[in-house]
Amino acid sequence: MSLENILKDWSKYRRGHEEGGHHDYEHMWGMAIDLDKCTGCNACSVACYAENNLAVVGEEKFSKGQAMHWLRIERYWDEPDLGENRVNEYQIHGASFLPMNCQQCNAATCEPVCPVAATYHTPDGLNAQVYNRCIGSRYCSNNCPYRLRYFNFFSYYEDSWPEPLQMQLNPDISVRDKGVMEKCTFCVQRIRKAKDDAAREQRDVLDGDIKTACQQSCATQAIVFGDLLDEDSVVSKVWKKHEVALGKASQNKANPDKRGYRVLEGLNTDPCIMFLERVREV
Amino acid sequence: MSTYKVKRRDFLKITGLSGASAALAACDMPTTITLEEGEEDVVSYLMPEEYVIPGIGVWYASTCRQCDAACGIIGRVREGRVLKLEGNPQSPINQGALCQIGQAALQVHYNPDRLKQPKIRQGGRLIDASWDEAFDVLKSHIGPDSGIDGSRIAWLSGTVSGHQRVLMDAVSEALGGAGHYAHEILNDTVVDKVNAEVYGSTNIQYKIAEAQVVLSIGADFLSTWGSPVHNSVQYGKFRDAPRGVLIQAEPRMTVTGGSADLWLPVRPGAEGALAMTIAAELVASHGADAKTLPQAVADQLGQYDLASAEEQTGVAADLIEKAADFLATRGPSLVIAGGTAAAHEHGYEAVTAAAMLNVLLGNVGKTIIPVADFPYSALAPKKGDTAQLAAFAKKARAGDISVALITGTNPVYTAPEQLDMVGALNAVKVKIAFAEFIDETSAMADVILPLCSDLESWGTHVASYQTTDAIISLQQPLMEPLYAQTRSLGDVLLAIMKLHNAEQYGPFADYYGYLRNVIAAVPAVAKEGLGDEAYWQAGLQKGMLTVAASAIVSAPLVEAADDAAGNEEAKEMVDNVASEDSFTFALPVYEKDKDFPLRLVPSASSRLGDGRFANLPWLQEAPDAITKIVWNSWVEMHPATALHYGIKQGDIVRVSGEDGSVEAQVYLHKGINKDAIAVPMGQGHTEYGRYASGRGVNPLKMVAVETDSHSGEIALCATRVTVENTGRNEELVKMGGSESQVGRKLVGTITADQLRRV
Repeated sequence: MSLENILKDWSKYRRGHEEGGHHDYEHMWGMAIDLDKCTGCNACSVACYAENNLAVVGEEKFSKGQAMHWLRIERYWDEPDLGENRVNEYQIHGASFLPMNCQQCNAATCEPVCPVAATYHTPDGLNAQVYNRCIGSRYCSNNCPYRLRYFNFFSYYEDSWPEPLQMQLNPDISVRDKGVMEKCTFCVQRIRKAKDDAAREQRDVLDGDIKTACQQSCATQAIVFGDLLDEDSVVSKVWKKHEVALGKASQNKANPDKRGYRVLEGLNTDPCIMFLERVREV
Repeated sequence: MSTYKVKRRDFLKITGLSGASAALAACDMPTTITLEEGEEDVVSYLMPEEYVIPGIGVWYASTCRQCDAACGIIGRVREGRVLKLEGNPQSPINQGALCQIGQAALQVHYNPDRLKQPKIRQGGRLIDASWDEAFDVLKSHIGPDSGIDGSRIAWLSGTVSGHQRVLMDAVSEALGGAGHYAHEILNDTVVDKVNAEVYGSTNIQYKIAEAQVVLSIGADFLSTWGSPVHNSVQYGKFRDAPRGVLIQAEPRMTVTGGSADLWLPVRPGAEGALAMTIAAELVASHGADAKTLPQAVADQLGQYDLASAEEQTGVAADLIEKAADFLATRGPSLVIAGGTAAAHEHGYEAVTAAAMLNVLLGNVGKTIIPVADFPYSALAPKKGDTAQLAAFAKKARAGDISVALITGTNPVYTAPEQLDMVGALNAVKVKIAFAEFIDETSAMADVILPLCSDLESWGTHVASYQTTDAIISLQQPLMEPLYAQTRSLGDVLLAIMKLHNAEQYGPFADYYGYLRNVIAAVPAVAKEGLGDEAYWQAGLQKGMLTVAASAIVSAPLVEAADDAAGNEEAKEMVDNVASEDSFTFALPVYEKDKDFPLRLVPSASSRLGDGRFANLPWLQEAPDAITKIVWNSWVEMHPATALHYGIKQGDIVRVSGEDGSVEAQVYLHKGINKDAIAVPMGQGHTEYGRYASGRGVNPLKMVAVETDSHSGEIALCATRVTVENTGRNEELVKMGGSESQVGRKLVGTITADQLRRV
């Protein structure tokens, strides 16, 4: 991959929503997460550890921000402190939970800054990370507004999987070594398998063929995954129902009470994960 | 050119293949090629085992054994290794989902600290032994020739059900009446007692999905209480349009509280007063009929009103008013109580008061369905609690137990210091542990027989919470045992039975053979026309056997109450039913304790549970849902309380009660009652492997042994404490820097009114 080629084929690696580039993709994998159903139970996150060979780094490295949780549940308080007049003494509306995994942006801010094109857009609309190509410049994670890229500061394969824990490792994907960036892949190995199965059976990939590990574990079915280019897929229908569309920096909704939104959409990153707002009665 | 030749064997070593082959050999793969020197085997996949296609994962059904909810699981098996667990979509309990603890069962199985070899205590130290040597020691103590008096032998276990329970009972009987004490520090003894008395059954199906408003008092039903995954599946439907309203009352915010529309910060111990205040408000403002309640309860309603509510419960009157309004106007409703609400001296009254709300609101038979006990009582769970442990400890200290058979429980860790489990176990001459790990209890054993992991064992289980039809959950091994010197619990029990009754148990080659045989004996009517083999195969594929539909039982109290209004005779019946078992109803009036003004809430989580999951690195690194802290212990406090004591975020404080103290870092948040101090359970292990031991503190040790006045169960949240600053401060190791969204729309929130306009 020479610089010359990168510049020449730039549009192939980064097709922004400006040109509506995603319309000629094969698939556009997307997600919808209903924050009114998410209970913050963390099952999705541990399912991700199990599926994707995520390293456990331990307390000390965690304190330095080196945890590898591709999918993390963030928790926010309405008003964390007592406040001057102590009006709201208690969190009477509960907490706010936000499952955050790579937003698979269409206009990904991480992609153009990679000096070696290790992160690029696949014809599936995935924001992919090529581990073998990564040189560990960490520009991408620096440029990710969501802080969802995770760098291997160390080789974890001995410390994280002492004998015989390594026998649990998923052979469908690699264990990443020191100096490599990694992040949520939308369970690309499951996508791969579904595509292979479909090809073998000479059919298209059907909605529901692919369940990401996080979606699979979710008891409240807060997570929906599928192809946004398939108009009949559940995920497309949810996006449509809540009047959220790709290729926009802000949504002009006919009905402002519809719950769909994308996190930090105004940054023009065009994420493929849509959230449905949390609802509170009082 | 170098003349050095790399031998093929060295080459394999260098490339790491020999490690893999050793591991695979442990999986007992059938087809092997021996290398030149004949020491190492490499598996050939030219002739793979039946059902094994190299590179293709196959999913097998089994049952999750991480808790007693008996969720169905499917495990992905590839080349003889189990790689991933998922919820079984066919299970009516978890319906395809699986919690983080269930996911982490893989790390129990592959844990580097698992026991690989039996151990026998010699000269004070546990020395490795062979299985036969260890079993011979067992035989000398409880074999037919041991000559021991069976009444001096005791089982000490966790909750146990299915055919493991049948065999344990058989062992007890064969030994001439050995006692069986089951211990779980987190249990529903109080709730079961109330349910039996009010609803007529300990088996209650809570129809969360069918309710429009759910009030939960102390029960963290989405995460740690009851059948959490089943409840969560229902909760997902509950939030579908028309969206249900969740009200959660608890001293310290749990996962369920975090999802609540209205979170009520009730003072620990005031849960009963809160329920009574809501009942009084329902009667006063919403026309609920107090005549449906037993006289003992109705008489006391007058003592509760909104004016004194905040003083009594710590919850602002307007919030209680709102809660009552939702319950009265948004039916069908459902009130659940348990967990921290039951963990007081008056826990029974608190849970009863909450049950009275269900009676008052007419929920029984609608959203609360009492069902009959499991039809095969021999398989039903023997539920653990602390009262049984106290009885064991008493008997042991009196010198009346010579041999203790210990499995599936760790009382040396979970029991309060006051119960002195170390002293009690020291008074037992011989302690035989059947364990997967060396924990605080098995470390005291004289003989340890290492068990197979749950993913290597056969078993049958009956859930402690009968969420649907009566089913026997089938546990089938997902791979060959990793270690040759381990056995499944069922096989150990069977081996003991063979010692005592060779005629009856001798024909079974192993526990699988036993199970297969007893399932064949299931009456044909339950098999729904399937032949024996077809029934068994269908069971294996689904991971369960349905034995009967749940029969709905009628609640005596409610039946009588239905006619009670204006009918004196029926009214008397209500009171008679309620007065059985000397139904008294005395809730305490709040008084501040000067020396120990705060109450300790040892908080449970679906991370480390009661400490048994502390050795699983995924769960240690999984942030706590509320505080987001990892790998350590902490103390939760309200910022106003902290201000009073001069404590800041991250300060290391000492929480002291009359029976001990702990030191940990403070995390301040407004999701805790001002009079409560919460310290999570799970850390503070002195044994239990590299991930658990020497990390954090164990609040259970300092719990005062107060008991619930009716059930005798330990009141976990009744300990009075005080807090002082040690003057040290450290940065909290937690996920995320910002506690608030700082005005960004990360988690968007809309009001339910907006939702209704869509």
